[in-house]
Amino acid sequence: MHHRKIVFSCVFAASAAILLVAQVPAVGQQTAPAKKAWTPGRTPDGDPDIAGVYDARTATPVERPKELGAKEFYTDQEFKEVSDRLHRKDPTAPGASAGVFGEGGGDNRRVQYDKDVFGFDVFLSNYVATKRTSLVVGPEGKIPPMLPEARERNATRNAYNRAHETDRVQNQNLETRCILSNRQLIPLFPIEDSNTHLQIVQGKGYVAIYQELNHDVRVIPTDGRPHLAKEIRQYQGDSVGHWEGNTLVVDTTNFTDQTAFRGSSENMHLVERYTKVSPDMLLYRFTVEDPKTWDKPWTVEVPWMTAKGPLYEYACTEGNESLGLILGAARVKEAEAAKSAK
Amino acid sequence: MDGGTIPYLPEALKKKKENEMNWVKLDPEVKCFLPGVPRATYLPYPLQIVQGADNIVIAYEYQNAIRVINMKAPTKAPADTWMGWSNGHWEGDTLVVDVTSQNDNTWFDHSGNFHSDALHVVERYTPRSADTLNYEATIEDPKTFSKPWKISMPLYRRVEKDARLLEYRCPEMAEELLWGHMAKKTVDQQPGK
Amino acid sequence: MKRLAFLIVSGIALLMVGVPAWAHHGFAAEFDADKPLKMKGTVVKWDLINPHSWLEIAVKDDDGKVANWRFEGPPPNTLFRLGVTKDSLPPGTEVMVEGYAAKDGSNRASGKNVTFADGRKLILGVAGGAEGRPDK
Repeated sequence: MHHRKIVFSCVFAASAAILLVAQVPAVGQQTAPAKKAWTPGRTPDGDPDIAGVYDARTATPVERPKELGAKEFYTDQEFKEVSDRLHRKDPTAPGASAGVFGEGGGDNRRVQYDKDVFGFDVFLSNYVATKRTSLVVGPEGKIPPMLPEARERNATRNAYNRAHETDRVQNQNLETRCILSNRQLIPLFPIEDSNTHLQIVQGKGYVAIYQELNHDVRVIPTDGRPHLAKEIRQYQGDSVGHWEGNTLVVDTTNFTDQTAFRGSSENMHLVERYTKVSPDMLLYRFTVEDPKTWDKPWTVEVPWMTAKGPLYEYACTEGNESLGLILGAARVKEAEAAKSAK
Repeated sequence: MDGGTIPYLPEALKKKKENEMNWVKLDPEVKCFLPGVPRATYLPYPLQIVQGADNIVIAYEYQNAIRVINMKAPTKAPADTWMGWSNGHWEGDTLVVDVTSQNDNTWFDHSGNFHSDALHVVERYTPRSADTLNYEATIEDPKTFSKPWKISMPLYRRVEKDARLLEYRCPEMAEELLWGHMAKKTVDQQPGK
Repeated sequence: MKRLAFLIVSGIALLMVGVPAWAHHGFAAEFDADKPLKMKGTVVKWDLINPHSWLEIAVKDDDGKVANWRFEGPPPNTLFRLGVTKDSLPPGTEVMVEGYAAKDGSNRASGKNVTFADGRKLILGVAGGAEGRPDK
């Protein structure tokens, strides 16, 4: 087991260093036998203590860069080099896009602000690197291709959405409507440009996972009870949990077709695993399967670093001027088009 | 409420009456806005208390509202919010929660009972049996009321074995009300047709 | 001296970090990148709300008429983490604000930055990225 010198990456420091974390791989991933591994303490109710505030930001790319082939982990030396390149703002460094998951973004980027006013730079922002070469685990390190039926299903849906996006508020996406943000919806995937703070509070028989963005809270029972009847569907599905050693395992089904994570259907089945592997890090690992979308399940592992709380309220719909601006802009455009057509 | 009528200051009472006349348009709950404290407690949707060591979460089914009650040394809010800022401590078996920094946008009910940003609420949650709590909230707001006043009510534990909060993400219930007027007019809706 | 002590954090003036943009909807759906605005006025209020904060300023035109303009800024939670509070930008403060006009014709804009009387700057929004084009 290697000992890492832990150096902190902090936005306030004039010279930023990078937090390097020796990853303690989860089940099946060990490259060398661990010496006595760190284990979390216990809550007053006797469960493994995973409570705390976390920041789930990461710079590891979702899928493995092609040139790395089946290489799942960097060596210590390679890891240091990659970290240095990211720190030097090398745009060709793996993860230079800071873990963008590619949802939305397009139009945002057309306007460029004076970032150099204060040397603002996304690479200096607080992030975590792990020795994984991609967040998707396994020799392929890629999300499996979508099945043809799923591709078709999504193409039809996207075409409709594009054509009718500004017709009415209900045609905007869930995030713009302040119903459910991309960051909140499970599984929890790193998404650029979003609030990555969350807090876990554990009580007797339940674990509350509270995400700051759009104040989302899931209260997960840990008694392994059965799921809700399959006719009951929720945006975030129905989650039931249980403990396996020090890992909280959460099983979620009963999704609607509204969230369509990565184009999936309401049949998506999600299993999340939360394991605190050091005083500073919780390893979040999830597996998704959906026979209507992918021909096999796929698994992602994201390290979360402990962060300073508290979480602040994020009331969304109360201040959502964006909807008015979007629809207003569309109506103005239509009125102008109608006028010039006369 | 304990003891009669809410002790409004005269100007505030006028505003309460105006609110009441127009409650459908003005009540923030109709728009699915966060309800504030103590209204969140007595909305007709369940709540769940998750009691951690340093923090206690109260999750409300209504609009996925949540409060995290800080049980360590009290801290201050950087700005006002809808659900306020909660610092808690124990007095014997009673959880006492001091709630400050609520913005002035919430109401106490559909009848237009309201408050200013000077609202200060102290809640007390006391077990009265294995499955009930006694809930009390003392409300003071010198800009709105001439003196503090109190509400109290029992909270009943849901004892069915698979009790859980369900989703009630209500922005979509309020969308037509808030934004329907800005939708694209269909051919049938064109003026003159 | 300005009461804006919050701007100084470890020798670096206040900056929006870790919140490059909020990708929940496109900038272009609401604002016009070809309609940059620059106006001088006094702070009316700074709504520290989500999903975006809004800085409202009163702008006097050449005839002395005053109009209020609202500039969209970042979510306040990041600002709180940098030490900003509701008292950080008092009403009446003289500012120059830059941004991009809303497409719906209202007195609203996407805020880019705020410059104070003493020349210091506060970034309100960062929407650049690898594909950004230089702003003139």
